[in-house]
Parts: sequence; C-alpha cells; structure tokens
Amino acid sequence: MKALDKLDSHIKTRLTDLSKAKEQGRKIIGYTAGGYLPEELILACDAIPVCFIQAGDNAILKDAGHYICRWFDPFWRSQIGYLTSGKDPYYTIVNLIVIPITDNHVRAFSNTVGYYTPEVESFVFGVPHTKDKSALEYYLQGISRLKKKLEDFTGVEISESRLKQSIQLCNRERELFRQISLMRKSENFAVTSKDFVALNHGSFLAEKEVMVEILESFVEEVKDSAPLPKDAPRILFTGSTLAQGDSKVMDIIEAAGGVVVMEEFAEGIRPYWGKVKLESDLMANLAESYFMDRVCPGWFRPGTERLDFLVKLARDYNVAGMIWYQLMYRESYKVESYFFPDILRKETGLNMLTLESEYDAMETGPMKTRIETFIEIIRR
Amino acid sequence: MAYYDELFKLCGFEGKEIEKERPRIEKALERLGIGPDDMQTADSWVRQNHDVSLEGVRKLLGAWLKELIDLVLARDEGKKIVYFGFPAILGPGLMLSVSSKDVFVCAPDMVLCHTMGQIFNKLTPILEAGEANGLPPGHSLCSLWQVKVGGLIKGMIPVPDLALASSYYCDMGSKADDLVTALFGVPVAYIDGVMDSKWGEYPNYLPERVQYLGTQINQALNKAEKVLGIKIVPDAWEKSQKGSQAYVSNLLRLLDLMKADPVPVSIVELELLEALWGSSTNRGIWEGIKAMEILLRELEDRVKAGIGTTEKGAPRVMIQLGHTSDPRVTRLIEDMGLAVPLTFILAWIGGPQVKPKGTYTTPGETIADYELAAAFYHGTDAVIKRFEENAKVVKLDGFIVNYLYNCRPDALASHNQKKYLEEKTSLPVLSLEWDIYDSRSYSAASLKTKVETFAEMLKAKKKSAKV
Repeated sequence: MKALDKLDSHIKTRLTDLSKAKEQGRKIIGYTAGGYLPEELILACDAIPVCFIQAGDNAILKDAGHYICRWFDPFWRSQIGYLTSGKDPYYTIVNLIVIPITDNHVRAFSNTVGYYTPEVESFVFGVPHTKDKSALEYYLQGISRLKKKLEDFTGVEISESRLKQSIQLCNRERELFRQISLMRKSENFAVTSKDFVALNHGSFLAEKEVMVEILESFVEEVKDSAPLPKDAPRILFTGSTLAQGDSKVMDIIEAAGGVVVMEEFAEGIRPYWGKVKLESDLMANLAESYFMDRVCPGWFRPGTERLDFLVKLARDYNVAGMIWYQLMYRESYKVESYFFPDILRKETGLNMLTLESEYDAMETGPMKTRIETFIEIIRR
Repeated sequence: MAYYDELFKLCGFEGKEIEKERPRIEKALERLGIGPDDMQTADSWVRQNHDVSLEGVRKLLGAWLKELIDLVLARDEGKKIVYFGFPAILGPGLMLSVSSKDVFVCAPDMVLCHTMGQIFNKLTPILEAGEANGLPPGHSLCSLWQVKVGGLIKGMIPVPDLALASSYYCDMGSKADDLVTALFGVPVAYIDGVMDSKWGEYPNYLPERVQYLGTQINQALNKAEKVLGIKIVPDAWEKSQKGSQAYVSNLLRLLDLMKADPVPVSIVELELLEALWGSSTNRGIWEGIKAMEILLRELEDRVKAGIGTTEKGAPRVMIQLGHTSDPRVTRLIEDMGLAVPLTFILAWIGGPQVKPKGTYTTPGETIADYELAAAFYHGTDAVIKRFEENAKVVKLDGFIVNYLYNCRPDALASHNQKKYLEEKTSLPVLSLEWDIYDSRSYSAASLKTKVETFAEMLKAKKKSAKV
C-alpha cells in the first residue's frame, strides 16, 4: 500500500528530520506509553512529541538488570534498558521526557530517569486509578502543570487558538483511526491487523500532519483492496502492551489462520474512540476526554469498565474468540485474566486464550502450539 | 485441661483467660483445622523460633492468637467485618473500629501469617489455596494476598462486609480486591492515590496530592458508613490515636534499649510487635501494648546485665522488616553473627520526622498530609532518604536492604537503595531479595550464602578497624 510505504519512508528519515528540527531550535518532547499524555499540549507549543514504544527484544532486559530487579513488566524494563544504554536513538534525541505515572511499573522507569540519569530533564504527573470527580480534578491539575512546564521549556505560550488547532489535528487523527478500525466490523474488510498496528506505532513517531495525510490515503486505498478471507476465525486481541517490535503473537495468529479484527491495548495502541470537544474550557475538555471518556486500562480499580468494553467489542466485532496477551509481572492483567474468562463465556459464549511473555525467543514454540490449538477449536 | 492449654500458656495466656475463652478458642481452632495432632509441632516450632524465656514475647504471641480468634469468629459474633491490606494507611480502619463495637477491622492475612505461620507452622496449605484460586505461583504475585485468598477459600476467615483497598500504594492489592469481589461479591472502598513524586522531591509534596488522597479517604469512610450501617463518631480520629500513641511511646522506649551492645532482643521478637501495630485495630493493639510493657521491663534487666542476642561488639545492621511467617529467615541474620538494633519501622518512629503541613481540616486530608510527610506513601526516594536519616539514630556498620521480590512498590528500591545508601553513608549495603510472607522459595537456607558472606566482610572490616 502506498500509504504504508509513505509511512515507512517517513519513519526511516524521522531521526534525521528530528535532528534538523532540534538544530533549528524546536524542542523534542519524549513521553512514555499509556495514552494519558495529550499530545495536543506538545503540538500547541510548537514542540514535537515522540512516544517511546520500542520493546520486544529480550536482550535489552539485560541492560535494565543493572538498574532494577527482574520482577517488573518487560516493556517497562525495556524502556529502562533503552534509556540507560542509549540503544534507542529516540531516547537520546529528546530534550525532555514526560512520564504520566499510571502504575508501579511506570514508577520503575520514572525512578530510573530521576536517579540514574539526572542529566535528562523529566516531568512527571500522576494518573489516578479510579474514575470520579476528584480523580478527574487531579488529572486536570497534572496536565495543567504539564502545560506550564511546556510553556516554560519551549518559551511558547499555549494560547487558546494554538491549543484548539492542535486538538483539531489530533481529533482528525483519532477519527481516521476510528474509521479504519470500524471497517473491520464488516465481513468484507481489507484492513489487516498488522497494518493497523503499524499505522498506530508509526503515529507515535511521525509528524502529526504527515500522519494524518497517510491515514487519509490509507482510508481511500483500503476501499479498493481485496477483502481478507471470510472463513478465518475473527479474533479480539487484548492486553496491557503491544510494543513496536513485539509482533510475535500477531505473526503466529496470522500463520495459524486467524485474523485479528480488534486490538485493545493500553500501551502501544492509541486511544482513538474519543473526540476532544472544542467548546468552552479546552484543558477541561482534554482531561474529560483523555481521562474520563477513555475506557480505562487494567490497572484501574475496579476494572469493570474495560472488561465490559471487551464484551461489547467481542459482540460488535462478531469475534470467534479472544486472545489475552499479558506481559510477565504486570499483576493487574494477571489477576483479571483469572476471573474474566468466566464473565466472557457467560456474556458471549466465547473462549479466551491467555498468553504471557517476557520477550523471550524460547516462548515462541509453546505459544505457537497454544495459538494453533485455540484457533483450531474456535474455527469449528 | 484441653489439648491446647499448654500451647496457649506457652503463648502467654493465663489459665483464667483460657477458661474464659475456652468455647471461643475451641470453635476457632476447629475452623482453622487445628487439632491435638498439631500441638507437638506448634510447641516445638514456637520454642525453636522464639525467645520464650521472655514473658513479653509469650504475651506478644498471645496477642496475635487473640486477634486470630476474634478474626475467625467475627461473623459468628455478629460483627461487621472490614479488611484492609498490608501495609496500609491505618487511619481509616482505626476510625471505623473506634466508631462501633460491632465493627471488626484488621489485616487478616497478617494475622494468619503470624499465627498459622509463626505458631502452628501450617501456612503452606493456605498459600496453596490462594495459588489455586486466582493467584498462581511463578508470576511474582503477592504472597500475602495468596494467604488472604487462601484463608477465605478454606473458610478459615470470614468473608468481609467491606474491603478497604490501598490503591494509593499497591496495584496488586486493589486488583486482588477485585478478585475477592469476583469470588465472594465483597464491596470495595478504593482509597486511591498516585505516587507521582519526582525523584528528589521529598520532603516536599504538592497540596493536590493531599487533597486527592484526602478526598479518597473521606469518600471511603462515607462508603463504609453506608455499607456497614454505622456512623463515624465525630472524635474518631482523636480516639483512634490513643492506641497508636501508646504503641509509639513504647516503641521509642524500645529503640533506646536497642542501642545497647549487645542488642538485648532478637529482631524476630521485634517483628511480632511492629507488625501487630499495622495489622490490628482491636484487641491485638491493646494486648500488644501490655505485652510490650512487660517486654520492656525484661529488656531493661537484660541491658543492665549485659545479656544480648549476639556477642558484644558484633557488627550492627539495619533491616527493613522481619519475616512475618517464618522466623528462621530473620534469625539467619543473627545466626551469622550480626546484631540488628534497628528496623525501618523502629527508625521511622524514632528518627527525624518531617512535620505535616497541618493546615487541613477533613479527617481524610489530615491523614493524607501526615502520611505524605511520613515518607512511606510518598515515593521510593522518600523511603530511601528516611533510611539514610534514620540510620543516624543508632550506630550501624551496614544495611541489609531486604526487598520483597513480589511487592512492586518495595522492589522498586532493589538497586537504587543500595547505591544511594552506600554513597551517602559510606556503609556497606547488602541488597537481599526475599519474601517476608512465604519462605518456600526464599528460605533461610537459600539466603544463607549471601548473608554469611556479608557478615564475614563486616566482621573483618570491624576487626581491621580496631587494629
């Protein structure tokens, strides 16, 4: 597809482009995955957002092992590894790292930045784990502090009009992702999950205007593409994190004849269901959309909103089964994976396969057997 | 005389107390699956692991047993039951407890660890029941939660009316509360907070953190009132502090005694009283205070007589907290010739304090303000700084920073704490990975090589310093 080729070549030169932008005085703002940082704020002060989403390589965990014990989510240990080793050039190019703290795995990263790399400027703010008025207010206070920090850091005031403009741009991006995702509700759809995930991952690094153009082209191109095989079992793929570089499970599903029609991940997939309102208080609107309206990840308590959403997605996307992909030691997902299968079965009659990973190549064989068996069962 | 009388006497019960409580004791033991065949094991287990020559230690074991009986029978006795996690901000639980005699509030897993573990040596089947019901082994899930779920599944402890979830600290605890809801339909009052301080921020903290955590505490108290059908008394906060103040003043006296060389009592016994404070809101606290008073007198005599747990002049180390269910693991440190005069809790009480802002008016905000100033729920660097500061309370030769591998907030300090303390104090630090609730994987034998090597190094260092 031309759109994907364009994304590919854009990403290939992205580091060079960022270097040039940096030389010209623009600030590069790195931020951690999870979908709680409104990129609008970064864009509104003429800075460039870059989200750290690389992982999937077990080797980097050895680097992280110098800074933290192994009992943390491998995605976040990967971030520690990339940060401290300099092996991910996106970490070395940024001027500021912003960390929305969601759970203790993110704190492991935040502590590492604060203690081991004090030369790297960072900013943290917290994301509450429960949804109510006080939690919304706390989140709003966090992003308001971030706004001030970004203004001071870039020297650019985030005016109402600049913020509105960036919200419009990000809304357009979300709308396009939503449009592409919704195509997969139909039986005659042509969007592979791999392409959808590639677009998502690309969007965390790409220049926003370019990304929107790519998504628009993609929407047009895909209308003319041949639909995917109808007899393949439709899979809902969910979990905590789907990192760039962690395609193992998706590859196996595809090879086993399954087709992923929906990806629900807290980290690595952009929240695209919501739309930020453009009326009245824009900061309040950002908080409302990013915190309250967004379906929460597994580390919210209670986790019922997300679990209900999964049931809804399973129905809306007419799936034949669910694959729950969790990373080792992310306890919120592990605990839910015990009691959710009963809920899913009761509500939809569907089965769920739980997979776990520490990004180890040794996992591939057993995972392949389990996925093939699962697809064989749900195909009937 | 019943089959358990001797054991209960060994654990500090008076004959009259046993008689008075006999029907309750028997009912509780039956529910716990403890019978005559268990007595010999329990007797030798207690004697092997505890200094039962000290009456204060026996009374402390008794205080835990009393808490266990109250816990097991709480439902039968018509109590409304509230469970909180460990560690936890104690204020809300204490306020509920002082507001109604019909409410029983505790950390049931800690009670099971100290009794089914430390006294009866029968914790493993409980852990296994937890593992089989949502918290499997091999995933670094909290073993304390395995104990709680196991205790519920086995019907040893009653299903509570409400859970107070410590969502300000631990992701596992709140999510496991969701599991308990899924298994037993227990309503949860989540007390949420976010440990989002930047490294180096302590002792400062943002007012919005106090407001958010405070509001969450207030909301949880409101929910508790509704669920339990009680009214929190206006002076609940003040009342709840009475027990705490007495406990703290005794701990301060104890801290003074621990400065002696040799150290007069084992860290194993110290753990019994430190953990009781964070686990009970009822009889355990008051019995604990009485036991401490006896223990303090006994330790004063020991100090005067120069009696201690290790040789005089033994290298002195600070640890975080002792093992809650298997004293052999904690005892290992002393067996290797190291004296432990200080734990985090003891130093936390006796060390330099950061004053709360003191400008808040609601109970929740007052509690939140206090807790953020106290460091533990502030952030990793705050806890490490308190370690550094508190180490000045007692002369030390080193630290054993024993972090829990399966407790994420604690394991966050696995590496940085060692580096920080070595740089700031110039003292050697052993970073020791273990599990303070379950000794099956982290047994004394498995940790011995590390502790032994560290101890040898400290001894050699001390010896060379003398030369």
